[in-house]
Amino acid sequence: MAHAYTPGLKVLGKTIIRKERILPLAGEVLVKKGDTVKAEDIVARTFLPGNVETVNVANSLGLPPEEVPKFMVKQEGDAVEEGEVIAEMKQFFGLYSSRAISPVKGSIETVSSITGQIIVREPPNPVVMDAYVDGKVVEVHGKEGVTVETTGTFIQGIFGIGGETQGEIAVVTDSSERVLADEDITEECAGKIIVGGSLVTAAALKKAIQLGVKGVIVGGFHDWDLKSFLGFDLGVAITGHENLGVTLVITEGFGDMAMAEATFNLLKAREGLQASINGATQIRAGVIRPEIIVPHTEKGKLAAGAGEEGSNLEIGTRVRAIREPFFGKLGEVTSLPVELQILESEAKVRVLGVKFDDGAEEVIPRANVEIIEAG
Amino acid sequence: MAQDYSHVKTILATDCGSTTTKAILIEKEGEEYRLKVRGEAPTTVEKPAEDVTRGVLNAVGEVEELSGRTLLKKVKVLHSGKGIKGGTDVYLSTSSAGGGLQMMVAGVVKSMTGESAQRAALGAGAIVMDVLASNDGRLGHEKIEAIRRLRPDMILLSGGIDGGTISHVVELAELIGAADPKPRFGSGYDLPVIYAGNKDARGNVKGSLEAKTDLYVVDNIRPVLERENLGPARHEIHNLFMEHVMAQAPGYSKLMEWTDEPIMPTPGAVGEIIQTIASTYGIEAIGVDIGGATTDVFSVFGGVFNRTVSANLGMSYSVSNVVAETGLPNIMRWVPFSVDERAIRDRVRNKMIRPTTIPQTLEDLIVEQAIAREALRLAFEQHKSLAVGLKGIQQQRTISDAFAQTATGGTLVNMMNLDMLVGSGGALSHAPRRAQAGLMLIDGFMPECVTFLAVDSIFMMPQLGVLSKVMPKAATQVFDRDCLVRLGSCVAPVGSGKEGSNCLHIEADFPGLGHISEDVKLGEMRLLPLPVGEKVRAKLDPARGFDLGAGKGDAREVTLEGGVVGVVLDCRGRPFQIPEDETKRVNAITGWLQNLDIYPKVF
Amino acid sequence: MRKLVVICVVITGALLISGCQEIDTEVSAVTVMDAPNDSGGGVVVAWPAPAGVKVDSFAIERLDPETGKYTPLTTVKGDETFLEDTGLTPNADYSYRVVANLADGKTTAVGEGAGRPTGEWFNFNRLNVLVGVVSFVVLVLVFISMARGGKELFVRKIAGLEAVDEAIGRATEMGKPILFVSGLGDASDIATIAAMTILAKVARKTAEYETPLIVPCRDPIVMMVEKEMVREAYTEVGRPDAFEEDSVFYVTDSQFGYVAAVDGIMLRERPATNFYMGAFYAESLILAETGAQTGAIQIAGTDRVTQFPFFITACDYTLMGEELYAATAYLGRDPLMLGSLKGQDWAKAVILVILIVGAILIALTGLGEVDTTWFARLFETVS
Repeated sequence: MAHAYTPGLKVLGKTIIRKERILPLAGEVLVKKGDTVKAEDIVARTFLPGNVETVNVANSLGLPPEEVPKFMVKQEGDAVEEGEVIAEMKQFFGLYSSRAISPVKGSIETVSSITGQIIVREPPNPVVMDAYVDGKVVEVHGKEGVTVETTGTFIQGIFGIGGETQGEIAVVTDSSERVLADEDITEECAGKIIVGGSLVTAAALKKAIQLGVKGVIVGGFHDWDLKSFLGFDLGVAITGHENLGVTLVITEGFGDMAMAEATFNLLKAREGLQASINGATQIRAGVIRPEIIVPHTEKGKLAAGAGEEGSNLEIGTRVRAIREPFFGKLGEVTSLPVELQILESEAKVRVLGVKFDDGAEEVIPRANVEIIEAG
Repeated sequence: MAQDYSHVKTILATDCGSTTTKAILIEKEGEEYRLKVRGEAPTTVEKPAEDVTRGVLNAVGEVEELSGRTLLKKVKVLHSGKGIKGGTDVYLSTSSAGGGLQMMVAGVVKSMTGESAQRAALGAGAIVMDVLASNDGRLGHEKIEAIRRLRPDMILLSGGIDGGTISHVVELAELIGAADPKPRFGSGYDLPVIYAGNKDARGNVKGSLEAKTDLYVVDNIRPVLERENLGPARHEIHNLFMEHVMAQAPGYSKLMEWTDEPIMPTPGAVGEIIQTIASTYGIEAIGVDIGGATTDVFSVFGGVFNRTVSANLGMSYSVSNVVAETGLPNIMRWVPFSVDERAIRDRVRNKMIRPTTIPQTLEDLIVEQAIAREALRLAFEQHKSLAVGLKGIQQQRTISDAFAQTATGGTLVNMMNLDMLVGSGGALSHAPRRAQAGLMLIDGFMPECVTFLAVDSIFMMPQLGVLSKVMPKAATQVFDRDCLVRLGSCVAPVGSGKEGSNCLHIEADFPGLGHISEDVKLGEMRLLPLPVGEKVRAKLDPARGFDLGAGKGDAREVTLEGGVVGVVLDCRGRPFQIPEDETKRVNAITGWLQNLDIYPKVF
Repeated sequence: MRKLVVICVVITGALLISGCQEIDTEVSAVTVMDAPNDSGGGVVVAWPAPAGVKVDSFAIERLDPETGKYTPLTTVKGDETFLEDTGLTPNADYSYRVVANLADGKTTAVGEGAGRPTGEWFNFNRLNVLVGVVSFVVLVLVFISMARGGKELFVRKIAGLEAVDEAIGRATEMGKPILFVSGLGDASDIATIAAMTILAKVARKTAEYETPLIVPCRDPIVMMVEKEMVREAYTEVGRPDAFEEDSVFYVTDSQFGYVAAVDGIMLRERPATNFYMGAFYAESLILAETGAQTGAIQIAGTDRVTQFPFFITACDYTLMGEELYAATAYLGRDPLMLGSLKGQDWAKAVILVILIVGAILIALTGLGEVDTTWFARLFETVS
């Protein structure tokens, strides 16, 4: 508890971004090292084993399980069509026959003489992997995928919903503190990734989906709206697989929270460029944060892979309070007392003095601030 | 391992948690083992270090600094020996880094071998991600889909008694084979599968699984329906945890070389110490560890040990899930003031996305502790539903059973008999006032009769657990002297009655208070200060309709033990009911908080 | 539901009103009135007692419409002044003449009168029954509506039914079949019908668990019904392929022949779970004891009181009497059944209270001067 918490969400104007594009199973890589790829280009593909169906042949033929193999028309590995006979038993010199038929198209996986069941596997499902970002292939991982590298703006959000998508950036609010309301979203936003200010309302999000907006980037979102939007109360924060028609990236937190000025300005500067965003979030061991990638070739100093341990609290550091009662307020560190202090809640912790932008000076626990970084 | 530990004077033990690595140094003073110092450092399993030993060395380094004893040699734990100055006689470790051990279990009937398999895995310290069973209502391809999606570290397959069903077990084996599962870490090895089912089906199971998985066969966990035999399966889980799961995690192969005993999964170790304590003192005990992502509950009732883990009940990463599962009204019922629901929802979410923040205002602390109460309650509910007797047993009847035919598989958790309730984990250990931890335990678990409450202040139960495997006496000594923060006894009569009627009469000589003879009304809570280590004999006389273990309305003499909080008289009745009327509710809660001096301010 | 109540109330009201209609009578010394609360077969003949004379008896004569003469009907004692004549044709006119036989041997005509018997819609003598029936119906309807409205109706845990899953699970784990004996009753026996509904539930479970089921039958009709029920149960859970035609079969209708066959199955197949549901007689203990010897979990259920002791001691669980009937509601949790089960229970509770109150009152009457006849009269035919 003695350490100040800086989640180190990256907000970098220009950096080198590497994205691993790995298939769930080994397959075929379609590009070479050094190739230039567009975000929507397919870089690798494979086939996932199909679903399986079981057929109880023993019961359909009225046989003890151990006799099933004798009456199989198709053997393990054979391809079958839907409705094709897979086992047949003739009685009375072929006058009567009972049959088992395949419920699906696929191939016979196993024939069991213990359970009397056979397993039919459906044909494999093709899976393709696109490049996700415009860039260059810098590494090929055998048959499993590639690493794509690009130079551009890289911003991490704190929470998101929805998976990978691409679109042109359009800033629709005039300031980072304004709420993104439904009237801000016009027909022109279709197919784009829109950037708003402090909050997106549920109504605005609904309109965005209607108009075919690809992504929404804002500072905050109400949990209440999240529940009505998803249709259930999200318990465990593992997202990214929702299929709601839009990808949402929240940069600051829940509630009405002005987007950090740096983030907002950076996105504004990249307006009109093609961006790749992903709302996938996983808040537990092996944390995953949503991301915004805007490849560009503008001149500028490359930021290091910053945002890691490097940043330290010092007097004058810009911080944001991330817990009540000053939640969301921005300010500057004015003092860093070494000794532990007792809070109103009687917890004994390390604190810091902060002067908020509205002039108020307060003492708050170090754990309750995060450093605002700009790249 | 038949090592001789009788000469041991110093013991070093570490626990590599998912966020911090904690090290403790125990030394023998005269005939007694005592905790000397402790140290901690961030765990270094993930990037950038990617080597668990870095964190271990840092933590041990802190211990070295504080104790002045040399424990490290370059980048290695130093063992004592001839001609070596310093060092430790024994080095032990536990680990839950990387999300712990995640397992899938399978059994024929969900409530029989499925449940036994679940108990075996949980007892070994695993998180059970899913229970597959022939009767779980899922079709074959759905089960396969589940295996593929969850990617467990290992699978425990059981089913059928010895000489029982073969077809059901083989069907499960075939499904696992068809899923062709891949382990969570790396693709360089086959997924370990433990088969602990019908011995007659071994050949067939081998046939379906040997080629596709790394199959291990152990004794049946349910050789007959009347008996569970979890030992061999648990043992194999521990071995495989070491060989496979741990070996894949960065730095563990090195750590395994340093330790004198196999590394245990942290929850498995906590289970060990709880069992050791229960058997040493002959008591019924419950232990709970409320973490950021998960809450573990351990219990020993009638000599039977049970552990459950509620994977999605916790105070930071899983805090939103606690709210989603119990509902906001259930949380707010513990709060003595009204709060805007939308604001609270946002607040809880922000705690989830920024898990390390701490409550600054008192209101915030109260809300957080209300959530902790519900997390404890839900985790305990889950525990009660799994800590049950065996189902499917033939029963002997006499004619007197005509109107009292009891079913099998009732819960083993009997709060009336519970002697000790130990809490640990951030929310309980770091509560600004100990009384808050005490009240959270009482509200979460609703102990009955007389129960002794304690918290593990620095969470050293895992280290003591692994120690208890080799030196049970040393482990109990340290547990007793240095691990527990004694809160005091809680007296709670069972029963209900009219509001405001008498519930309990207590008569005792309290040091400092003199002779007391008091009546406590239903719905009241009171605190009688009694310092740590003090014991008093008290005559407890419950009112008519209330039971304190001697029968309804019957008086009883008991020994009450003191602690940093004191003796808590909880006369809110069992089953506990909170007043529905808003003003009454606020008044009641305010009364309890005031009487027990829980918060510095009154609302 | 509410509609039904309204309809009941309206009908009752109409009946009451119709019952109150007076039948016209001639103004005469002898009045002939329609007898109340009957179906139209009776009249009440009433006459005034002649003043100043002592009457020994009255002779009542009825006019025969064919001959046009009065024929003697009956004679009543001198202190009676009315007579109910029954067995008449409804809506026909009848005339009566009353002659008084005086104590001194003389006779004197009292008078004549005519009337017409008509049927009434409602028999007020049975009002208490109506009140009872209506309150019972209302009770049931209220509980049904409560159950439909989602209210959790408490039904005591019946261990024997709770254990069904467990018993089937045990058979599955042991790889052994399940034996279901639906008793010796025929298809019209309520116990057999209750047994069939339990069989349907058991069959659904065995289909899910893929455990073999053996159902030997004693009655061919019961066998046909049970076979269909089992087939349907297997289809319902999506496992029609797992149904085996021969699992439900006919044995013999000879009582002990049947028992010998079932015992044989127990010893050969060693089923892990035996169900005995329905009507049982002398064979109950032979079955249950053999089953217990084979180590099976046994669940019995019968409404034959004499067989309870044998089942209770030899079986793991026993459903006694009403528990067997309640099984359908208990297992199905259908609001209709649950509501009527609950309504019936309450009605039984009310009857129980009345019996207790009655017993107390009788005791009080025996002790002293307490008049308790009013209570008994509440339950008699009202006159």
